[in-house]
Amino acid sequence: MNYTKADVFQAEATMNQMRNAIYHLARFMDKNGKTDQIKRLRRMGRNIARTIFNYWKPIYMVTVVNVKDVISTIYKKIFISNVAIEIKDDLISVKENNCALCKYHYEDVNIAGCEITLGLISEFISLISKKSKDISSIYLEPYKVEQSKALGHASCIQVYKIKSGGAL
Amino acid sequence: MGTFKWLMKKITKVFGHSTNALFYTSLYREILNEINDITNDEEQSIKILREIGKKAAFESCERHSGIFKLMPGTPNKVLDYFEILFSVTLGMEMGELSYEEIPKEGAKYNDYVLNIKMDPMCAGYGDDPEDTFDFSKLSEDSEGCSAGLAGMLESVANFILKIKKSDYRIGISESKCIVKGDDCLQLNCKVYDHLEWKEFIDSKAEERRTSDFYFEEGVETEVEQEAKLDFFDKLQEVITLDKLDELLDEPLESIKQKVADLIRDKMNLEPEKFFDYFRNYEDDMMRIIGFILVHLMNEYGGLIEKPLKSETIAKVAGYAFKHLKEMVLLFIPLDVVGDYNQLFVSFLDGLAPPEMVENVRQFSGKDTITYIFEGAQIAFENLGINFSELGENIWEELKREREDELVPSEQSMMERTQEKFPRVIQIIQELVMLLNEILTLPIRVLISESHYGIKSAVKSVVSEEEGLYGSVRERMDNIFDQIQEIRK
Repeated sequence: MNYTKADVFQAEATMNQMRNAIYHLARFMDKNGKTDQIKRLRRMGRNIARTIFNYWKPIYMVTVVNVKDVISTIYKKIFISNVAIEIKDDLISVKENNCALCKYHYEDVNIAGCEITLGLISEFISLISKKSKDISSIYLEPYKVEQSKALGHASCIQVYKIKSGGAL
Repeated sequence: MGTFKWLMKKITKVFGHSTNALFYTSLYREILNEINDITNDEEQSIKILREIGKKAAFESCERHSGIFKLMPGTPNKVLDYFEILFSVTLGMEMGELSYEEIPKEGAKYNDYVLNIKMDPMCAGYGDDPEDTFDFSKLSEDSEGCSAGLAGMLESVANFILKIKKSDYRIGISESKCIVKGDDCLQLNCKVYDHLEWKEFIDSKAEERRTSDFYFEEGVETEVEQEAKLDFFDKLQEVITLDKLDELLDEPLESIKQKVADLIRDKMNLEPEKFFDYFRNYEDDMMRIIGFILVHLMNEYGGLIEKPLKSETIAKVAGYAFKHLKEMVLLFIPLDVVGDYNQLFVSFLDGLAPPEMVENVRQFSGKDTITYIFEGAQIAFENLGINFSELGENIWEELKREREDELVPSEQSMMERTQEKFPRVIQIIQELVMLLNEILTLPIRVLISESHYGIKSAVKSVVSEEEGLYGSVRERMDNIFDQIQEIRK
């Protein structure tokens, strides 16, 4: 009997090779004329969120009150990463000094691995909110990767846009 | 588990960035899905996944090449490697493994088939709507779900063989896949000599040329027939971990002979001429010994330099070193230090000019220890410890950290520091205990020697179960665990 995904969720894996693989995939996309890499990477993140959501739900509802804690919990559990979170108007900025998907600056790649994170986190929050069906629930949309180590910055900053429950 | 496997596993776990394993396997799946979205050809996609796995692992290996110099460098050790390769690649423990050796007539090394009962890459594939890649479209000959993993393993194995200047390479391919309906993950490990390997990489290059999709240049490189070895590569031929036991049994004369041969062979100098350079600079020579010892330890995979990149670890190591420097003479009786000095004089006698031997004889044991520590300190400074920034003792540093905690306005930062604080204390405690274990070694050896003789004494003290070795390993286990927790 092989492992189940629930078993795998209890374990940790070292990311070094897989992180590199993301950028080789980006090169492969690029060489095959795929210019919509941001969309593709975010789609990957969304699919990963949908799968993980079947095995782990950190909370039953996300509102503007607890969104920082929920985001922090998801980063901690999935990326084993501590983050600093700021909310300004309807934008949430998440700063990661030790991003699992970006570590080195690649001159030949113009995309950040944390586009995947952007897709994953926003989808995860949205899945929680969809399930709760509460009017005060919020949804997140990927806004942009403001900074990334893969693009030569000192840290990664992912920005999400908040949508209220009624908006979706 | 052998020391080497244990150490490698700990290092990769502590110094790699971990994520949740389900994220890892889901990301792997998504990479395959995206490739397939471009190719619309499942078999091609699997091949490209394998290539990407190879390139990704090769890139990691190149960045951390030093670490692989620890590995023994022959293909028949592939099974010894395998558990480590698996851990290095996945960062996860490998479950039950069985293997069979496939005899290859006339070849120096046989091939192997590995059966791995549990494969995290295949875990629960098909249970979720996002598991969209259709493995049923693959032909029987095609690799399956773990092709990318096999590519990574192949890359790491061949990187080790390359760095160890072996004439052989290993091809690792997936021949059974749980998602395809097999009962286990099966990997074929085929050993190639340099001619077979050249044919193999030529065929791969041809495959790339005829592909409809872009393949970047492969990572397979031809075996370099006349590769030059650097000094440390050559040194590792003499001093490797698996030769440690032999070394413990060597009498002094035999070690002297080996050192003399090494100097003649690698430096093209007679030992006396070599040591003559240090005549009247014997104190500097002792410092150089301390300096080289630290750098030599670091040469094994950057074992010292890498952890010292973290400011916290560098500080803790700096205080531990200062502690050791100050306490060493309290723990080791001066006559014991004198004996070590006498041992060194005996070692030099016959290798170095008589005048120099006489000068070293004049050193007190304390002088020798001081010079060696001075040299080691310079080496540690080179490798990242800023001794000038350290306080008088570790408690001043901890106090400084506590004061810092009051400054940040962000509560989570304070909480994080508070969470880490007991772990730092625990690391310090383990380090102090570790130092005590090491520093009391001469006393234990002396007592054991009086009962059993020196050889038995050394063996009993360093034995895995009860001796220094076991204690050091247990304490290092705790230290690694605490560092890992702090890094989270």
